[in-house]
Amino acid sequence: MESLRKDNKGQWIVLSGLVISLILVAIAVLANQAVINGYYSSNAVLELPKEDIRELTLQTRENTRMILDMSYELNQTNNKTVPVIFEDIFINCNDQMKALYAIRGQAIDTRIMMPMQIANETNMSGKDIIWVNIEYNDGRTRYVSSPEVIEVEK
Amino acid sequence: MNDKAQLHTLEGLAAALLMTLTILTITQSAMIITPQNELVMDVQLKQIASDALTVLDSAPEATIRNDLTECIASWDENEASLDSNNLEMLDYELSYLLPDILYNVNIAYVNATTQLTDKKVIVNGAPTENAVVARRLVSLSNSTVSSSGGEWNIADDELLIVEVRLTAWRV
Repeated sequence: MESLRKDNKGQWIVLSGLVISLILVAIAVLANQAVINGYYSSNAVLELPKEDIRELTLQTRENTRMILDMSYELNQTNNKTVPVIFEDIFINCNDQMKALYAIRGQAIDTRIMMPMQIANETNMSGKDIIWVNIEYNDGRTRYVSSPEVIEVEK
Repeated sequence: MNDKAQLHTLEGLAAALLMTLTILTITQSAMIITPQNELVMDVQLKQIASDALTVLDSAPEATIRNDLTECIASWDENEASLDSNNLEMLDYELSYLLPDILYNVNIAYVNATTQLTDKKVIVNGAPTENAVVARRLVSLSNSTVSSSGGEWNIADDELLIVEVRLTAWRV
């Protein structure tokens, strides 16, 4: 065994083994980190209410177009002006949407910015421009579009 | 006598131990993969369900027979059960867009007396715990309902906002 103590050729092999092991440990840690990142990014995608916010904006635009069409039609049969009819129906829609979002724990609000710009009530061609404030808040994510400018072709 | 081989054997044993420990570390950390995969599948399923409703709602008229608004407008106000679905056209279109996925559809709206109403319109079974919910709002007017032959009671100066809830799950 005396010759073994003096023989130092094996030290390189031990050192190589140690280096390879350290590399493998580093790779394992990196793989672990990648997995954890995937977990958090998937979780973040699930929690971000991007579809809800997109839906709110799109629906407000769609409602605005439909309500303006209805306002011009109703204006022919009663003595209220288009902005008055528009505002009545818009506020009613806003209340309905508020209730539907509230049951999911989300607070929303859509408001018309005054004064409403109606190009010409009697001229049924051209475009009307409606400015609407849109707000969304679910406690974690807050979104405000102020103003959302909506062009409506007559 | 040559006793160098003993030292090599010890080195081999040490290296084997280190490699075994490393493989164990990798195997144990891979357990985290399971919830990650479930979440990724949930994200994908939710996206597919949202896309299906978006396609139905915004597809051009020539590409689809009845869009989402027309399907909802044609509802006869009777709630669905497992045996009979009320919106067969919507069911047919969704089954085409969501192959190998089971789904239920509910609609929610605020009626004239400001009561929130939730009705089942398509029932295909009980959702599993990994089910996801996609939502889409549609606006119904009196003229939309009349042209679609539905039973909704909507005044001329009213726009009814209906939330379509699609609960989807894989089996």
